[in-house]
Amino acid sequence: MTDVTLYHWEPNANSGKPMLALMEKGVPFASHYIDMLQFDQHKPEYLAINPQGTIPAMTHQGPWGSRVLTESTAIMEYVNAAFPGPDLMPADAQDRWRVRWWMKFMDQWLGPSFSMIGWSVFVGPRVRERDPEELAAAIERIPLPERRRAWKKAINGDFSAEEMAESRRRVALGVAKLEEELGKRDYVGSDAYSLADINIFNSTYSLPLSQPDLASKDKTPNIMRWLKRVYEREAVGKTWAMGKTDMAARYSLMMEGII
Amino acid sequence: MELVLYHGEPNGASLTVLAALAESGLDIPCRPIDLLSGARHALPEIAEPIALDLGIEGEGPVLVIGGEAMTESVFLAKYLDELAGGCGLQPDDAYAHWEMLMWCRQITERLSPAAALLGNLAHSQAAIAAIPASDFAALAASVVSDDLRARWQALHEGRADPAQVADSEAKVDQAAQRCEDKLADGREFLMGAFSIADLVTYSWLAGMELVRPEAFAETPLTRAWLARVAVRPCILAALAMANTPEPLKTWAPGPEINRWG
Repeated sequence: MTDVTLYHWEPNANSGKPMLALMEKGVPFASHYIDMLQFDQHKPEYLAINPQGTIPAMTHQGPWGSRVLTESTAIMEYVNAAFPGPDLMPADAQDRWRVRWWMKFMDQWLGPSFSMIGWSVFVGPRVRERDPEELAAAIERIPLPERRRAWKKAINGDFSAEEMAESRRRVALGVAKLEEELGKRDYVGSDAYSLADINIFNSTYSLPLSQPDLASKDKTPNIMRWLKRVYEREAVGKTWAMGKTDMAARYSLMMEGII
Repeated sequence: MELVLYHGEPNGASLTVLAALAESGLDIPCRPIDLLSGARHALPEIAEPIALDLGIEGEGPVLVIGGEAMTESVFLAKYLDELAGGCGLQPDDAYAHWEMLMWCRQITERLSPAAALLGNLAHSQAAIAAIPASDFAALAASVVSDDLRARWQALHEGRADPAQVADSEAKVDQAAQRCEDKLADGREFLMGAFSIADLVTYSWLAGMELVRPEAFAETPLTRAWLARVAVRPCILAALAMANTPEPLKTWAPGPEINRWG
């Protein structure tokens, strides 16, 4: 019997963050797979856990009862502070500031651009194959109005050319800045592997495949060296083994081929 | 290693960090800069500028340590608390800390952009619009971030999207109500004990009492909490650093409004 249950989709982007953080800390957890493409996250049984209908979410049982934690980066900070195991925040306060700065840069500025592109080329087309009436009903069940708007856009392919161009500009700039950062330090924000690496790896590991014009051995040697180092971690292998689609297998093949 | 805190008038992000510094008791030199003249984009001797160039928060304070520009007021407040060996601005308990982080993120992601838009339109838009074209061109050219520059330009040209204004008003109303709900159990401060959550929420909400008074019409607990925070020694110390009689009326372009709505 484990005290921790994680509700997650694929080991990718937001879901991948707490999965990998728990693996790195060696915290046993019950995995509850939420199929985002089937809108499991908006079904009543999941809304009973997280009324916002966002994934991931984590429950932690203890003398306090059951805690529900949401928001992937904040969950990681909780996991790091609440459990024994290797410290995933650097010891120096300025390094910790830098780790937090990079996580915010990813979560609030770069990440939404990655996901706009990801949704338009991957999530939208996959979901559009489904029955339109079923889709409309699924959208209506989304509790947060802004998520409802975002899903509608993704499903209908409504991102304007201008929005997509801005997202591509941000991704290109963010990748260039990450390359600069990894030229200064071994890991993101410090010389030690930390939550910032877990955060950013989960949104960038596919770059050499999805954006080879931006990230490659020639163009971004520092990113490629860092990706390889993170990719080779035991916890990453274990986390990717929890994927149910071909995403993880595809990327591990890619990683072996490219790096 | 040389440390200096460049800051605007004590409101918004600058107020959070000045108050955290006062609470920490650390002796870090403070240099006021005129945010509306673009001074933040002409700081000397910055060897690592990325956090200054691409910060999310807009025209917030900049702590420079050994040539590295550090930004984002919540993280600077955490840094100052940690540098002081823990001055009591963050809970030790992991769950309480998670709650504080979640609260602060709600505030910086939803309230801060909304308050900055409304605050700028009410109090600084005319001054920004009055910057002569050639000076403004130089200022705009010094802003590295394309999206922050766009917010400066919109204010200079007097452009405001009515939908964004309405959405911002709703977000300020929601923030006041969120505080009201949090305080409903009789707690003195948002997380129970005084914390960074109070600093960051006060810093963006206090000025809204002037701009959007209707948000507080039915939130007596929030009004009482604002009054309690206003007399905390660290807030008084920060406000005493003002160079204007009404610092809560000083605004400069802030965070971006969420691109996805």
